[in-house]
Formats: sequence, C-alpha cells, structure tokens
Amino acid sequence: MNEALLEQVINGLMMGSIYVLVALGMVLIYGVMHVVNFAHGVLFTMGGYLGHFFYHRLVDSYVLAILLSMLTLGLIGVLLERGVFRPLAGNLRNQVIASLGLILFLENGVVALWGPNALQWKVATTERFVEIGELRFSQHHLGIILITLVLVAALGLYLKYTRFGTAIRATSQSQEAAIVVGIPVRRVQWTTFAIGAMLAGIGGALVGPLFLVFPQMGDVPLIKGLAGILLGGMGSVPGAVIGGLLLGVTESVSTLYLPTDYRDSIAFMVMVLILLVRPQGLFGQRMRGED
Amino acid sequence: MTHFWKSRLLALAAALLPLAASAQAPAGKVQLGVVTALTGPLAAPGVFQMNGFKLAVEEINANGGITVAGRKYQVELKVYDTRANPSEGASAMQRLATVDKVPVVLGELSSGVAAAIAPIAQDYTMPLILTVPTGPNLTEQGNPYLFRVNANNLQLNQALAEFLSKQGWSPISFVAWNNDAGRGGVIGIKELMPAATKDGYVGYFNVGEVDFASHISNIRNSKSQAVMLFMDEEPGSLAIKQIRDAGLKVQMVGTLAMGSDRFLKRLDAQRLDGMVQYNAFPPNADVPRIKNFSQRYKAKYGEEAHGFAAQSYDGVMVAVAAMQAAGTVSNGKAIRDALAKVDHQGVIGRIKFDAKGQASPAVYVTQWCANGSRSILYPENLKAGCGAG
Repeated sequence: MNEALLEQVINGLMMGSIYVLVALGMVLIYGVMHVVNFAHGVLFTMGGYLGHFFYHRLVDSYVLAILLSMLTLGLIGVLLERGVFRPLAGNLRNQVIASLGLILFLENGVVALWGPNALQWKVATTERFVEIGELRFSQHHLGIILITLVLVAALGLYLKYTRFGTAIRATSQSQEAAIVVGIPVRRVQWTTFAIGAMLAGIGGALVGPLFLVFPQMGDVPLIKGLAGILLGGMGSVPGAVIGGLLLGVTESVSTLYLPTDYRDSIAFMVMVLILLVRPQGLFGQRMRGED
Repeated sequence: MTHFWKSRLLALAAALLPLAASAQAPAGKVQLGVVTALTGPLAAPGVFQMNGFKLAVEEINANGGITVAGRKYQVELKVYDTRANPSEGASAMQRLATVDKVPVVLGELSSGVAAAIAPIAQDYTMPLILTVPTGPNLTEQGNPYLFRVNANNLQLNQALAEFLSKQGWSPISFVAWNNDAGRGGVIGIKELMPAATKDGYVGYFNVGEVDFASHISNIRNSKSQAVMLFMDEEPGSLAIKQIRDAGLKVQMVGTLAMGSDRFLKRLDAQRLDGMVQYNAFPPNADVPRIKNFSQRYKAKYGEEAHGFAAQSYDGVMVAVAAMQAAGTVSNGKAIRDALAKVDHQGVIGRIKFDAKGQASPAVYVTQWCANGSRSILYPENLKAGCGAG
C-alpha cells in the first residue's frame, strides 16, 4: 500500500508541476493585465510541437530544443500581447473573447502545419531510469519536478529582488500608481506576457516526450492550471504553485481509493470544498468591498 | 418546337436511355462501392483495408475479370472517404445507392459509422459487407442486408477467454476505453472467465487521456498477475511503455491492434517481449493460404500483410462470388440471397455467414518474442514458435 501511495505522490507531483507551469504564466498575465488568457493551453501545445520540430529538424539536442521552443513562444507571447490584447485593453469582455478565439486559431494552425495525428518524440531521458525500491521512474519524470522547482525559485527571486521584477509586482498591485511612479507599464505588460508564454512553452516541451505531442495536449493543463490558480487564490504567485501541486497530488492519490475515472471530478470537488471555506483561495487576500 | 413534339422527343429519349446504357455494357465493368476512412483518426488502418480491396480487384482483373451470367466484367472500386464520421458515411452510402447505383458496398473501420450506414443498405436493398468493425451489436439488428466477414468482439473475447482460462493467471486487471466497447468488453470477458480467476483492478480511461500512472499504481496494488489492455494502437503503446517503464512485472494481454509490425515500430521488442494478444490473422503462419497471401501482399506493398487487408481481400472475393452465384451485377436482393448462402474458402479461412450475417473466422492468440517476431499460442493445432505469428 505504501509503495502505491509513494508512487502516486510522485506521479502527482509530476503532473502538479505541469499544472504549476501553466498556472504561473496565467497568474502573472492576470496580475499585470487583469485578463485570464484562455489561450494559454494552446501555447502549451505549441511548446510541444515547436520543441519536437526543433529537436528533429534543427538541433538534435533536447536541452537546446527546449530553449528554442521557449524563445519562440516568448516571441509569440509578445506578438499576441501587441497584436491582440493591447488593442483591446480596457475591454475585458473582448479580451476574453479574443483569447477564446485564439484557441481555435492556434489549435487549427497546429493541425494545418503538423496534421491531426499525434507525434512521438523520443529523447534519451525517458529511457533512463531511477529505481526506488520496487518502483521505477524515468529520469524525465523526476526531471520535470526538479526543473519546475528551479524555475519557480528563479521566478520568485526575480520578482522579489530585481528592479524589473519589482515593477511587475507594482503593476499587479495598481497600474495607476505604477504609472505615477514612472514604471514603464507597457513594457512590463509585454515582458510578462512573454514570460508567461515561455513557461507554457517549456511545459509542453517537457511533457511531449513523456507522452505524445498532439493538438489537444494543452486542454487538461489549461483547466487544471486554472483550477490551481483558483485554489491558491486568484492573483497569488505562491498560491498558483501550491494550488497546482496540491491539485496534482490530490487527484493522483484519490485514484487509489476511488475509481480512476472519477479522478477529474475529485480534483474539482476538493477545489469547491476549499473555496467554500476560503472563498479567496488558500493564499488570496480578501479585497475591501468583496463579500 | 411545339409542346407536343417536345414531349414526344423527351419520351423517345427516355425510351432510348436504357438502350444506351446497355450499349455501354459490352465494355463489361462492374463497380463495387467502398466506404472507408482515407483521412482522419482512422486513416492509418484505412490504408490496410484499401490495400486488401485493391489487391483483390487487381488479381481478379489480371485473371480476366469475373463471369456473371455468361458475360465478362472487369471489377472497379468506387471509393468514398468517411473520415470515421457517421454522417459522412451516411451521405457516402446514399450516394453509392442513388448516384453510383453499385450492387454491393464493402468497407468501414469504425463500428459507429457501420451502424449509421447499415440501415441505408437495407433501405436501398444494397448489400453491405463489413470487413473490419468489431462491435457485436451490428449483426444483432435483424438487418438482412448486412454481412460481416471478420470476427466480432464477442468471438474475439471467447477465444481469448478460452486461452486465458488455461493460463491460470489470477488476479487479472483490466484497463479499457471508457465507452461502450471498453466497458462492454470488460464485462463480456469477465463473464467468460472461470470462477477461480480473481478480479484485480478495473480502470477506464477517456479518449485523449495519455497518462496511465494511476492505473499502473492500482494494478501494482492489486498484485495482479496479468493485465488486459482493451484499447487500440495509440493508447496501447502509451500504456505498455508506461507499465514497463514503471518496472511493473505483469503479464500484458492486448487486442488485435497490438500484434503487428506496425505496432512494433511504435515501441520496441524489449518492451513488448512476452505480451500476448488476440489476433484475427497471423501473417507469417505456416498455412498455405496465409503464406501465399502474405507473399503477394509483401510483393505489392513492401510491408507485412495485415489482418484488416486479408479480411478486406476476402470481402471482395465473397462479393464477387455472390454476384456470380446470383447471375446478376445489379439486383441487390438476388445478390443478398446469394451472400446468405455463400461458402467461400478465403485467406482468413472458411467464410460462411450465419442467419445474422456474421461469419466465424478463426481467432488466434499470438505472443511477442524477444527478437520482435511473434509466435502462435492458440488455437492448439496451429501452435508455432517465434516468427510464425
């Protein structure tokens, strides 16, 4: 029993890490632009496809392919912010509709470029294993958890200790005040969008070799990432991290006690229960004027 | 031109039309309708089905075509792509009946599309011969115009259960599609297993799910000796890879999607080694009809023959045999009656339809060997070592 539990906790941390990567990007973008980017799942998918493309066509090094995929996604993020979200600034409804439209546009773009069938992506790290007692995990599996931890730590330090990180936090707190003290809010916005897109990109490029690269691969991470954000508290960066990991572990462990096909509903039931007790989420702050 | 003459001329033209049609007939061509998935999610298995149809037609025509009621005909295929979509299939079927007016339709891969097109076959008295779909319900609808050459899930499960009960693997776990076929399959095979076989874990997964980790932990937890994977190629390859990578030592039991060279290419011999699966056609078996077909297939397509191709090849042969027996290339009802009586020695074995239109071809169980070849474990009389499956 303990072995299965350990196995599912590690599996849950791995899936949770993926949710965290998606959730973090969305939370940052939400902070500085006050828009939920529903197209974030498709950016995740594009990360998988671009990584696959770079690995097989260009560089033959997994690390380089991930980096290139991240960079390209960062660029795409900037273009989306400039081309789609900024022109619609001030109109939340249109921004949300635009991000939903982007899902159709980008997902079909991926299908048009790479076809509807799933792609296999074989890299060396999925073929090397670490044994823990009777259990066995691929290095890739554990690598995803490790890389996410490093990225989360790096992002935390960046936000806390650099000038630009402070500017991002300031813009999240109050855009008007940020403008007043001379923070280049526009630059903050497109940079944040680029960082968010890069996090989604690395998520896709990390998951691709473990499973498959296919047009809908970003759907589940998007929904779970969003749930992670709500669980942790809308707008809270540590909340997104804890929320994502908690969701991953909860749904994984639940399958040991309840039928596996209830996995998704269990995760959301836990979310609803926590929000009933703490409507602002685990780390969210109650704003004045909110019920 | 007055109205009178106009109508006279039209009547004359109408009277001459059948003559014109029969004047064309000496060219002697008969078109067989085909509905299959050339694109979409089932495009890959669709290739095997088309290869079988094409090989049959090519061989028939190379031998001078077919003789029906004393006249020689060359055989042609009129192919429509259903994209594995029931409504596309239905409109293709309508077209074959009303525009192309073919005597017989062959095809389909998905049971969903087959269920949508079968009633149309009955409406237009145009026999439909299925060569791949395995949904057991298809032949339970009392549709006299539906025939199925290949074994259905019930027949496949029966063979597998008979094989499994002799192995004594217990407990047995199941991981299956979360749909009719998956859930029905698990219930069906459990009923056929001996009482001594204990239940392990039963888990269902949804289309698009790629992470089998939860299932694997549960299988480990249940101390199962074997796990049956009720799924097709793509999830199958993911599940097997993840089971092996997690270091879970369990006997894997698969479906016919997992016993071909094509499947081997998705994975590797090391991960497949020892796995057993039911199979409708062992392309390397030392049986003259199978060997012969496999050689011809390989010569034409440069790859290992596939069960879907063999079944589809036999489908064309059965259709042609029925037209010859009925002495017509246009009367659907007469061809249907002939199909009901057909007794054909095909590549996959003897094809004779029961009252519901279902044939009972042989079902095999093959096992993967360490070198990437397959052996035959079942039926007993065809048991053969690595390289035979």
